[in-house]
Amino acid sequence: MSEVLASSQKPADALAAGAPLPAKHLLEGRATLARVVIVGAILAAWQFVPVSRGIKFWLSGPWEIVTTLVGWVVDGSLWSHLAATLGVMIVGYGIGCSVGIGLGLLLGFLPRLHRVLLPFITAFYALPKIALAPLFIILLGIGMGSKVALVAITVFFLLLNATIDGIKDVDRDLVQSLRLMGANSTELLSKVLLPSAKPWIFTGARIAVRYAFTATLLAELIAANQGIGFLIEFYSGNFDSTGTYAAVLVLVIFSVSLTEILSRIERRAASRNA
Amino acid sequence: MRGAVDQMAAMGPARSADRAAAQIELKGASKTFHVRGQAIRALDPVDLSVAAEEFVALVGPSGCGKSTVLNMTAGLLTPSEGQVLYGGSPVHDLNRQVGYMTQKDTLLPWRRTSDNIRVALELACRATPKAEADERVARMTELVGLKGFEHHYPNELSGGMRKRTLLARTLIYEPETLLMDEPFGALDAQLKLVMLEQLQALVQQRRMTVLFVTHDLGEAIALADKVVVFSARPGRIRAIRKIDLPRPRDVYTIRFTPEFSRYHEELWDVLKDEVSKGTDI
Repeated sequence: MSEVLASSQKPADALAAGAPLPAKHLLEGRATLARVVIVGAILAAWQFVPVSRGIKFWLSGPWEIVTTLVGWVVDGSLWSHLAATLGVMIVGYGIGCSVGIGLGLLLGFLPRLHRVLLPFITAFYALPKIALAPLFIILLGIGMGSKVALVAITVFFLLLNATIDGIKDVDRDLVQSLRLMGANSTELLSKVLLPSAKPWIFTGARIAVRYAFTATLLAELIAANQGIGFLIEFYSGNFDSTGTYAAVLVLVIFSVSLTEILSRIERRAASRNA
Repeated sequence: MRGAVDQMAAMGPARSADRAAAQIELKGASKTFHVRGQAIRALDPVDLSVAAEEFVALVGPSGCGKSTVLNMTAGLLTPSEGQVLYGGSPVHDLNRQVGYMTQKDTLLPWRRTSDNIRVALELACRATPKAEADERVARMTELVGLKGFEHHYPNELSGGMRKRTLLARTLIYEPETLLMDEPFGALDAQLKLVMLEQLQALVQQRRMTVLFVTHDLGEAIALADKVVVFSARPGRIRAIRKIDLPRPRDVYTIRFTPEFSRYHEELWDVLKDEVSKGTDI
């Protein structure tokens, strides 16, 4: 009882004595340490807790996984798969963005055409695009084409709607005041509509990166002959749990880097806008 | 008394001369707005003519259709009845001969002060070499007292500064006709006088026609060749008074002259009845 009291009084005494609070970087350092300890404990348990051979077959182990991954890096087989995934993502994203923004501007300019097409756009927008993957495979085969198409159509609808919303949000009075000054359509586009819709388009483009990534991966999981998704699918299909985990690890590294790059770009954009 | 003022204006010798060279002419122009199934008469049929290079001020209580007159002149609204002529022909579509300084802030939020002022000079219809545009922007910025704020965005400026930026943007391309809707409402009294003087000088020098809406009767008399008093809604013209004060006028001291007081008293007599009738002033 007295021991409990003593220990509970200790921090209060320390504060009363004016002990400085730990600095922020010190707190951060402790949190990192705690994370390392947690991960280390889990990995150690995974590696060393004895299990039957049957379970080991499904669970694999950290050491085996890392060795496999290093093997892929050393023999160079990893790069072609990474390149395939990145290639599909970038090309699909590029096509989806440019067509989406272009058509969005056009429909923003022609509200009557937009009204006519709106039910179709809504229907396609609501449709989970992944459902179209088998169709694209029939049409374009299991190569890059079908996957690019799936990514492009996913990104396209996001950017189309972001652009149309951005144009709709433009203050009509700004447009009118510039028209009174004598601005023609091109000048209205470049001086009012585009700058005003820019934040909407940027937000759409940012969100679309994540969607493009998911779409790429799903397309590769469904049917592919290369790519990270293909690796996962291939090894799990062969009941090779080590290979599957290694491929998932590649995916984790890939998506963490992507997220980090994106949030850096976002932070820079935010500080420029402020 | 009111009738007398009306008569005086109608019999004024300069009136018929004005009509011959009318730049802006409203012929029985009226406006009815339909808001949620309800018809609201903003302006009864109005006859008004503004000669070229004339400075006309419209005064009257809130909601009396003064802004409607400007909007119809700019071609932003079409009259429900009657006609609005500009330079002798009916206004349809936008009237690009006018520079319109609206009450609403229409600065481009993503442009800095000097780029906002410059925007009209960037348009193809009056392409201006960069050096000349720079020089004119700098001069106009100084004129409206925004030196030192060239690189601020609109959201970093005070309400009065935004008004002045808007004024500079409208004046810089020297439109043939200026339409101004309470341009100096948000300014403090001293700055207002400075702006009035600058406006007067510029308008005279560039020989512009001006249609100027204001709440401030003193401002109207100090600037205008002709003051038009509107009634409370639905707007009708209660009086038109020519202001025969010599130009250039000293906007700082003109208020203290006996002639000014006489005009003020006379017009205030008409205006005050309308103001007390106006419910939303």
